[in-house]
Formats: sequence, structure tokens, C-alpha cells
Amino acid sequence: MTLYFGDILPYLPVMLKALWVSIYVTLISFAAGGVLGIFIYLAKASRFKALQLFSNGYIEVIRNTPLLVQLYLIYFGLGSIGINFNPLWSVLIGMTLNNSAYTAEIFRAGISAVPKGLREAGTALGMPFHQTFRYVILKPGIRNVLPALTNQFIVLFLFSSIGSVIALDELTSTLQNLNSQTLRTLEIFSVGALLYFLTSAAIAFGSRITERLAFRW
Amino acid sequence: MDFVQYLPPLLRGAGLTLVICVAAGVLGSLIGVVLGTAKASPSWIARAISSLYVNFIRGVPILIILLFTYFALPLMLPALTFSRGFTAVVGLSIYSGAYMAEIIRGGIQAVPKGQSEAAEALGMHYFVRLRYVIFPQAMKIAVPPGIGFLIALVKASSLVSVIGFVDLTRAGRIVTTLNQEPLTTFLIVGALYFVISYPISLLGTWYERKLA
Repeated sequence: MTLYFGDILPYLPVMLKALWVSIYVTLISFAAGGVLGIFIYLAKASRFKALQLFSNGYIEVIRNTPLLVQLYLIYFGLGSIGINFNPLWSVLIGMTLNNSAYTAEIFRAGISAVPKGLREAGTALGMPFHQTFRYVILKPGIRNVLPALTNQFIVLFLFSSIGSVIALDELTSTLQNLNSQTLRTLEIFSVGALLYFLTSAAIAFGSRITERLAFRW
Repeated sequence: MDFVQYLPPLLRGAGLTLVICVAAGVLGSLIGVVLGTAKASPSWIARAISSLYVNFIRGVPILIILLFTYFALPLMLPALTFSRGFTAVVGLSIYSGAYMAEIIRGGIQAVPKGQSEAAEALGMHYFVRLRYVIFPQAMKIAVPPGIGFLIALVKASSLVSVIGFVDLTRAGRIVTTLNQEPLTTFLIVGALYFVISYPISLLGTWYERKLA
């Protein structure tokens, strides 16, 4: 067999457009899941037993079941009892919930890695609580979690491909459509894999630059 | 709705999920040991080749890897016949090999340098050093993240349903076409995944506590 990329060249704009859909659902669910993750973390760190129990259960259930099954539950399961979401919304909701459990754990690890002495030092220097929180806990905390968050962002981006299974028109489902249209199987999937790889490499690179620029002290 | 009659196919699917995960876990660990050692080796060629593989696979979704092994690999190797189960195991092994390699490399590099230097001073050859000095210590360090990856592997294995292998997820899809009750069915499927994966995470916690 011979490789011939000429047939799939005209489809490159379609692929790039689909890649944007993948990036876009990742961005939204990463942001929304991040905010939800903060609340899950706060519930876990709170003094209330019921809240701790809830967030622990939430985290364990999400982290021990596949995203695909979670999407099936949202798309087909809720659909069967009259709560209908289109594929885009199902993927956004599923990825947001999924991401929130992982980011909650990342926040927990990052905040607990800030030594207690630092906070006490802030207080001892006469800094009001909001200043201590912002400069002494939050900033080093974010620096601690940035590599883990980047990793989670890349993982989430890669798992956005699962959206294709419930017919979201993102990169993977577009690749499958193009494969059956052009029958240039090897070429289509190699180019697709390369697009995914280049995007995640760019994300990792961007994060390293941010780390250098935003956290110099 | 009587769910008892749908439980056997789901359990059969769960069994097959376990089988392909064990197979891919073992094969992936073997690939991981070879590539992880190569990544931590003094030879730059070995490092370059293994880094290329590991970085590329880790930047591509497992679903793309599975679709590639399912659609494209048979075109590249026309002499071989690929069953769905074989494709599933090959795809998952390619995937887990890359992650395991990173974990093994981390383990090897976490062994204090003095260990390797002392063994070298005793006149031990590179591979003898690896076998008797580095590996026993590195593997201990690599076990907790390795267990963490096994959980990710169990969850990623749900994607073999897309290429038509009847694992737990696919069995769930088939059952829903029969009973028209996706909510209950996928709750059971999710619970079965939890039953497989949660004990693995407990094992990880237990091991870390034992080690500490």
C-alpha cells in the first residue's frame, strides 16, 4: 500500500474546524469544572461531616467510572426519563462533572502542600486575612498545582474525543466520517493523531511559558 | 422491570473487561519496563527513540489509537488477521506502554545516584547493576503510580466498545436496546466499573501506607 495525502488535503479545513470544537468543549468544561472543583474541594475541607461525606463520595464515584459511561448516563439515561440534552450539552455537562472531581483533588494536594508556617508568618507580619490568602496561600498554591492542572487540561482535551461516541461533531467523529468518505484510512488517522499531538504539545508549551512569566519571584 | 435476566450478559462483559485489562496491563508493563529503562539510559539514541514513542502516544487520545489499530493496522500488516479482542488488547497495550514507561523512568531516576555509582565502583556491568541494584528499588517506587494508571486503564478500556468488542460498556449498550431502560442499565454498568476499579485504588492506598 502507498501513502497518498493528496486526497485528504482538501479536507484539512474541515479537520481544523472540528479540532476547534474539541478545543472549545475542553476550554468550557475545564473552566466550569474548575469552578465546581473549588466548591467540591471546599466541601471536602470543611468541618461538616455531611459535606465531607458527599464530596468524598462524589470524587470516588466519578474517578472510578469511565467518562464514556457517564456520558451514556447523561445522554441516554436522562433522555429516557424526559431530560433531553443535545450531544454538545451532554458532553459539556459530562466533562464538567468529570473534570471537577479531578481538579478538586488537585486543589486539595496543592493547598495542603503550602506549609502551615507560611500562613502563620503572614499573620505574624500583620497581614489581613485576604492579603495572606491572596499572596501567601493562593499564589504559591496555584504555582504548586499548575503542572497538575496543565496535565489535567491535556487529559481532558484528549478525552473530549469520547464525545464522538454520542455523535458530537468534534475531531474524532469528523475523522471517522472522512475515513468512510475517502477510504484514506491510514492518512486520515495519522493526520488526526498528529493534530491531537500538536495541540497537546502546544498546551504543555504554553503552560511552561506561563509558569516562567507569572511566577517569577 | 426484571433486571436479573440482564445481569449475566453484563457480568460477562465485566469479565471480558477484566481480561483485556489484565492482558494490556501485563503487555503494557513489559513495554513500559523496556522503554522506561531506555528513557533513563545513558545512550542518547535509546532515549530519543523511547521519548518519541512515549511523548507521541501520551499526546494522542486512546480512542484514536484504538481506531488506528482497528482500521489502519490491518492495512499495514495484511498478513495478520485481527479479531476485535486482539485489536483491543494491542491498542490498549500501545497506550499503557507509554504511560508505564514514564512511571518506570520516574522510579529509576528516583533511586539515589550513589546506588548506581557504588555498584559501578564494585565493577558491576550496566545490566547487572540494573537487575540487582536499580530495579528492586525502582519498582517499589513505581508501584503506587502504576496502580493509579491501572485504574485509568480500566476506564480507558470502555472505549474498546467503540470498535465493537463486547466489553462491559458494549454489553450495557446491547442490553439497553433490549430493555429500553438506559438509566438503570448504565447505573448498573457504572456500579460494575466501580466494583472493578475501587478495590484497585484501595490496594494502592494500602501499599502506600505499608511503604511509609
